[in-house]
Amino acid sequence: MHTRTPRIRRALSIAAAIGAIIITAGCSGGLAGGDGGDSGNSDGPIKIGMLAPFSGSESAFGDYMKNGAQLAVDEINADGGVNGRDLELLVEDGACDATTAVAAANKLVTAGIVASVGGYCSGATLPTLPIFDEAGVPMVIPAANSNELVSQKLPGVFLINGTGTQQAQAAVAYAQKSGATVVGVIDDATSYSADLAKSFADQAAAAGLDVKLKATVTPGENDYSSVATQLASEKPDLVYWTGYYQEGGLIVRQATDAGYEGAFLVGDGSVDAKFAEIAGKGYTEHVLGTFTQTPDMITGADTWIADYEKLAGGKPGPYSTQSYDAVRVVAQAMTDAKSTDFDKVVSALEGLKDFKTFAGPLTFTKDHTLSGGGFVIVGIDPATGNFVLKDDLQG
Amino acid sequence: MQLIWNGLIVGSFYALVALGYSMVYGIIKLLNFAHGDIYMLGAFAGFATLSAFGISNESSIPLLLVIMLLSMVTTGLIGVGIERIAYRPLRKSPRLAVLITAIGVSFTLEYAVRQIFGPNPEAFPVRLESSGFDFAGMRITAAQIVLVVIAAALMLVLAHIVERTRQGRAMRAIALDPQGAQLMGVNVNRVIATVFFIGSALAGAAGVMAGAYYGSIDFLMGFIIGLKAFTAAVIGGIGNLYGAMLGGLLLGLLESFGSAWFGGEWRDVFSFAFLILFLTFKPTGILGARVVERM
Repeated sequence: MHTRTPRIRRALSIAAAIGAIIITAGCSGGLAGGDGGDSGNSDGPIKIGMLAPFSGSESAFGDYMKNGAQLAVDEINADGGVNGRDLELLVEDGACDATTAVAAANKLVTAGIVASVGGYCSGATLPTLPIFDEAGVPMVIPAANSNELVSQKLPGVFLINGTGTQQAQAAVAYAQKSGATVVGVIDDATSYSADLAKSFADQAAAAGLDVKLKATVTPGENDYSSVATQLASEKPDLVYWTGYYQEGGLIVRQATDAGYEGAFLVGDGSVDAKFAEIAGKGYTEHVLGTFTQTPDMITGADTWIADYEKLAGGKPGPYSTQSYDAVRVVAQAMTDAKSTDFDKVVSALEGLKDFKTFAGPLTFTKDHTLSGGGFVIVGIDPATGNFVLKDDLQG
Repeated sequence: MQLIWNGLIVGSFYALVALGYSMVYGIIKLLNFAHGDIYMLGAFAGFATLSAFGISNESSIPLLLVIMLLSMVTTGLIGVGIERIAYRPLRKSPRLAVLITAIGVSFTLEYAVRQIFGPNPEAFPVRLESSGFDFAGMRITAAQIVLVVIAAALMLVLAHIVERTRQGRAMRAIALDPQGAQLMGVNVNRVIATVFFIGSALAGAAGVMAGAYYGSIDFLMGFIIGLKAFTAAVIGGIGNLYGAMLGGLLLGLLESFGSAWFGGEWRDVFSFAFLILFLTFKPTGILGARVVERM
């Protein structure tokens, strides 16, 4: 089945293309009538697709992403759409699970999307890349940021969230700045987390830090006493947790109870107000995080937050802004390209220069990642439990 | 020493949940796969009650006990309801049908809770004081002691019910021979309902304790512990009460040592490999063969 599906799809798309050519030729008397790959429905809305988790353990993030993207779509449509056509957002559940995500990606492709603005879990996003690539759909990925995503050099893959390497750079920079010499790293065995942990360990070692502890835990359990005990006995100056906030909160609490007194640095998957609630009062003083800036850290984003709340009926969360920006980036590229054709849109994306986003001015590198990682250090405000800007690492 | 203590803490959760598994299996030969989700429901029942009263970030043991009793009654009743709606109509059906129903019930509970409380993990409003002290090379926190005492007390109460009361005798009779017990005038339906009530109440208590101890609850929290409790029940000898307690503690210890030796990511591999070993070489579990009377 696996090897046959693409072949069938290719055969179908060739058949469809021939059909389209015949129709176009019939209507306008020549091939010049088409304006790209989707000449068959150039009057309808431009469909863009998003895969995000709406079920399973990561399901909280799906709505944050969907609402962020929908907000951008609404704004763009209110301004007259893209190339005179409205945008339409199609959302499917990727469940943070490879099998579900592949099925959902196929569904989106069948529905006729011309760009993808989804991707939360790297492990679930990775297998969908060839499907979108095959169908000629450019991908601007808002949340997933494993280096694996761009290492395959697929032409249509762009990351607008800093990569693991860039985030690890920020973590190492902070470790050095704070005077830590012995560091540890804990991951939760997911693609994103293991990638970030490895990047951190490599860069820390290269920077001359002693990486004394490397541990992996199983997500979804409550008891992390074994890693807590390990931390208490190894006593690194700083430990970097690269997993998500639920386990992170538990580990911080249990390690502190076990007697660990060093600093806790957490990756962006853990930066959420729930972190402090789960860890509990008095457990978050040495907790810091590496994170891309969010609207509540940026002055003048109040109207954006108000608009979001009006649309979603709740506060924006992690990746709301990235999803919002992903849609705007795609829309800008289509406007620049004056088309939704794959090659034209991809070269328009590559040509974007200092496009204004929440994470700062956006320009893509040769690898299709951000030229500036935009990572800052955040800490937990003891009064509210929210993460607030602590150090922008600018010297 | 620290490893042993860590193991006992986790083990007491497993033991409490395993008891319900074992009791239900002992009496109607059903692997109630929804049992882990009753544990989750217990935690959420406590969470809902506390949020309704607007309580947050407290740490008081009497309050915890009250909440625990309320949750135990709630999950107990839910357990009885599940038996009445999902299992009783199928009691004469092939075992596979009931097993599949149990899995269905499990998903129903999980996603019902997700619909009501949302998919985010919630912070449990009552936390146990967890300042620690060092004793005999171990770091012990007050919360852990409270936890172990409560678990032990619940198990003693249960042992008393089963060994010393009329209800307990009726349970043991049904476990031995349902038809015979019925002929002797035992109300089988009522006794089975009681077993579901007690088993679910214990799981609910464990759920509240987990909430207060770890501080984070989510709608999928029952899944893994359900599997672990099942493993504990098998290791101890499924259908045997003391086996379930022993199995729970033993599994906790195994995991504690397993993750210290191989690393935390091997913990589940280690414990489920143990399940396979037991099923292969001693399917009756540790206490299974020695005890003639199952319950």
